[in-house]
Amino acid sequence: MIAPGTAHQGVRLGRVSAEARAGYRISFRGRTGRLLADAAGLAVFALMAFPIYWMIATAFKPGRDILSLTPKWFPAPFTLQNFEDAIARPFFLDDVKNSVLIVGGTVLLSLALAFLAAVAVARFGFRGRTAFIILIIGVQMVPLNALIIPLYLMLDGVGQTDTLAGVIAVYLAVVLPFMIWTLRGFVANVPVELEEAAMIDGCTRVEAFMRVVFPLIGPGLVATAIFGFIQAWNEYIIAYVLLASPENQTLTVWLASFTTNHGPEWGPLMAAATLTGLPVVAFFLVLQRWLAGGLTAGAVKG
Amino acid sequence: MGAAITTRDLGPVLHRPRRRRFNHLPYALITPASLAMFGILAFPLGMLVWLSLQHYGLRELIAHQGTWVGLDNFRVTIADPLFQQVVVRSLLFTVANVALTIIFSTLIALLMLKVSRPVRTILMGGLIFVWATPVIVAIDIWQWMFDYEFGVINYLLTQLHVGNFIHHNWFDDPLQGFIVITVVTVWGAIPFVTITLFAALLQVPDDVLEAASIDGARPWQIFWNVTAPILKPIFLIVTSLSTIWDFGIFNQVYVLLNQRPSSDYFVMAVYSYRESFGVTQYGLGAAIAVVMVLILIVVTFFYVRQTLQTAEIT
Amino acid sequence: MNPRKYLVGAIGMAIAVVVAACGGTSNTPGNESGTLTVWLMTGSAPPSVVEGVNADFKAKHPNVTVKVELQNWGDISTKLDTGFAGSTPPDVVELGNTMVAKYAAAGALEDISGKKSSFDNSGTWLQSLTDSCTLNGKLYCAPYYAGSRAVIYRKDMFAAANVQPPTSMDELLTVGQKLMTAHSSDPNFSALYFPGKYWYAALPFVWDFGGDIATQSGGKWQGSLNSSGSQQGLTTLANLVSKLSKADKTGDEAKQDAAFAGGHIAMIIANGWEIGVITDAKAGNPSLKDKLGVFPIPSHNAGQSAPVFLGGSDLGVAAKSKNQALANEWIELLTGTKHMSDMATVGGVIPNTTTMLSLGTGLNAIFFAAAKNSRFVPNSRNWASVESANVIPDMLVSIFTGKAQLPAATTSASDKITTILNGS
Repeated sequence: MIAPGTAHQGVRLGRVSAEARAGYRISFRGRTGRLLADAAGLAVFALMAFPIYWMIATAFKPGRDILSLTPKWFPAPFTLQNFEDAIARPFFLDDVKNSVLIVGGTVLLSLALAFLAAVAVARFGFRGRTAFIILIIGVQMVPLNALIIPLYLMLDGVGQTDTLAGVIAVYLAVVLPFMIWTLRGFVANVPVELEEAAMIDGCTRVEAFMRVVFPLIGPGLVATAIFGFIQAWNEYIIAYVLLASPENQTLTVWLASFTTNHGPEWGPLMAAATLTGLPVVAFFLVLQRWLAGGLTAGAVKG
Repeated sequence: MGAAITTRDLGPVLHRPRRRRFNHLPYALITPASLAMFGILAFPLGMLVWLSLQHYGLRELIAHQGTWVGLDNFRVTIADPLFQQVVVRSLLFTVANVALTIIFSTLIALLMLKVSRPVRTILMGGLIFVWATPVIVAIDIWQWMFDYEFGVINYLLTQLHVGNFIHHNWFDDPLQGFIVITVVTVWGAIPFVTITLFAALLQVPDDVLEAASIDGARPWQIFWNVTAPILKPIFLIVTSLSTIWDFGIFNQVYVLLNQRPSSDYFVMAVYSYRESFGVTQYGLGAAIAVVMVLILIVVTFFYVRQTLQTAEIT
Repeated sequence: MNPRKYLVGAIGMAIAVVVAACGGTSNTPGNESGTLTVWLMTGSAPPSVVEGVNADFKAKHPNVTVKVELQNWGDISTKLDTGFAGSTPPDVVELGNTMVAKYAAAGALEDISGKKSSFDNSGTWLQSLTDSCTLNGKLYCAPYYAGSRAVIYRKDMFAAANVQPPTSMDELLTVGQKLMTAHSSDPNFSALYFPGKYWYAALPFVWDFGGDIATQSGGKWQGSLNSSGSQQGLTTLANLVSKLSKADKTGDEAKQDAAFAGGHIAMIIANGWEIGVITDAKAGNPSLKDKLGVFPIPSHNAGQSAPVFLGGSDLGVAAKSKNQALANEWIELLTGTKHMSDMATVGGVIPNTTTMLSLGTGLNAIFFAAAKNSRFVPNSRNWASVESANVIPDMLVSIFTGKAQLPAATTSASDKITTILNGS
């Protein structure tokens, strides 16, 4: 309805134009305004990032410095002991592998399925389309915790309780509605005319789609992939309930084992949490340049 | 309903007779996703409703055999004064948290347009790190920062002479406790909403803003009259998603309060979980979850309608 | 149930289609008879003990694989509820002793009354643990290990304040007050660190004055935290807390060992194994090793000690287990004399039988001795719901923080307990 640009234009605009726009602001506000803005930006950063800093700093502190009545702002003395303890826990590597498999399976499958469904919803009018849209919005309203028992009994009925496949199936169902919805916006943003042009050049319908449309919704795929990644990587209760064998469990379940009946072991827990967070951050850093453009292009179309 | 779309999308492309309208391609495209979603969720969702109509305790769970009680669970639930408090509390919490999330995220997104490039990169990096931190871990960190004895926040507030916060207990008074829960929730929600809004702001056409500036409009006027209307669809999305997430808030209460919150801290999802796994009344727990979804449908009705309208004219 | 079964099958096929694509692992029901699954809680048995049991088991059953799966404490009832509801529950399950009645009453555990004599020392099992395994006269689990509490104190602080370990509750107060005076310059100092929700440590005070949580007569439970004995005990405790403790009045005991290691505390009420946490080289303070002493929680009758709450764990066999005979054998090994003595000496926990209480050496001896005079919570299938509802911790918090007067708080808690215990 607003269509400020197509998805690809939007992204390009996003990358270049922030600077251009910042420059344009300067001409109106001057250097002081910019400095004030920078100071405010850094203050916001400090507030947002402090808990993260505290987690990482704690991970490098020796045990006695962690619980002290006067907080130690910097990890001095510095130790890697907590990381060694964390990694030395049994099944660490198994759990890393499982998390990667579950996240990889969830993200790839959900991207493929969501993409197909998004094309259908964005490109075709068909009987049942509105119902489909209402359903995918409605499904997101059901609290996952309320489905623990039904999901468990269902998977138990088909012998999939202690398997990665069972967990992937659940995660798939949980992330798909959001992903279809987001991707729908991206597909809708690609003008039909581009496809037409390709088809006039002799492409079949499918070829036109794969060659023309698919590359243009790259940012959308990235944005939804990141969403799916975070959901699957961070989920705890379903994984804990479904996966009984320690060699089948995920990193979040492994993290929970740092909390014993006499409270959490803070140092190793923070080290483990830092380790668990790193892959997500790495995934982000690799993909984030597409993300900003990606999320909006889909979303603006509502 | 789909006539406009079909003619616009397919007519010119295919130059074929109208019978293409009854093509089964869209159904083929949504089938895999529908199978995955509804194939996996249909039974659990159905069972949830079915459970809500049963007397279903631990014995029944183990025997897989409940007793039909009709709408009794709903009657009991709705008549329970605690439940009424929980609904009101959840709604207030949702309103406050969604509002704070949207306001702060909008401000930060606007700020990100004005800062220099390195600062923007740093800020973006920080947001991403926050988003990437597992919720359970994030709550552990916050819980510990607000700790009664070793908490860095009590120490800091005392050092800054805000007051004597040595041995201050944040969860003694539920109002203060919910302020902490709100801080944790909003903190966790800001990255997604901010990054989305920031990206949307980048797409507001420059010439429109420039024109407004030259006309002498003040910055907030520009925002209110030019930017905000253009961003309306995206505000709709993040507001409704935040509403759904905040109304279903669970970990931020349950884990923050050491998995045994007192009833002063019950919100919908915690209450439902408590009835299910704490008191092993799965029927009641399911009934609460069903009521929760019904309330959400009412609350988000406006959004869903708007969304469907937007989708139609795409 | 048939329509549901049918539906499960249909959905199952749908899932199979979905999951077939992702190449995940799938279980093979064929060799299930060859695997014995054991759920133990994290930190319950030292790995060497578990290995020893498995080795002995392997010698008898070379073709059976034992899978010991350690469970996290958080959300354990969610995991147990679903586990027992499933078609392949764990064969052997460790349950906290206050949780047994709930699962036994729901039919999750196998009645092993007939096998009692096959367990070593079953005639001398700790009474409170045996009670926790018994529901309506039937035995649903074997006692595994126990934990009883005593007071851990700093000998150096006592010496500096020139006080001796108290032998009565009155003395506990006067000793504590002297310690408070000696450390009056330290605003963080607690003579007796007592977090508000620490109800296991509050029960000795209730019992010592003749009170109780609830009593049963004619099949009906009656909450009795508001009886005069209970109220006297709680009044004594509230007085101690207000004068001697700087701990969080609404907090729980999870942090008390770390706090004690921090050096601003003279006494805590704790389990024997908590000494290891306090003096742990990484998380605690190893230099305290020689400065720690232990004395039993004193009674209000001078020279006696108060009855303590006997915590601990039991081992049960799932009613749906397909390997019940093997499961029993595994439990017999772990709870038997040989491995129990390892639990006591290596693990430092209180073994399941009175005949081994002499195995406690050094400071541990005092904790082991305390187990002899121990009590348990009301043995009702609804007890777990009382715990879930936080009735006693909430009552303590409201008393300590002054939100409610003691008689009103105890009456309200007592009424709640009566209602929950008699519930359907």
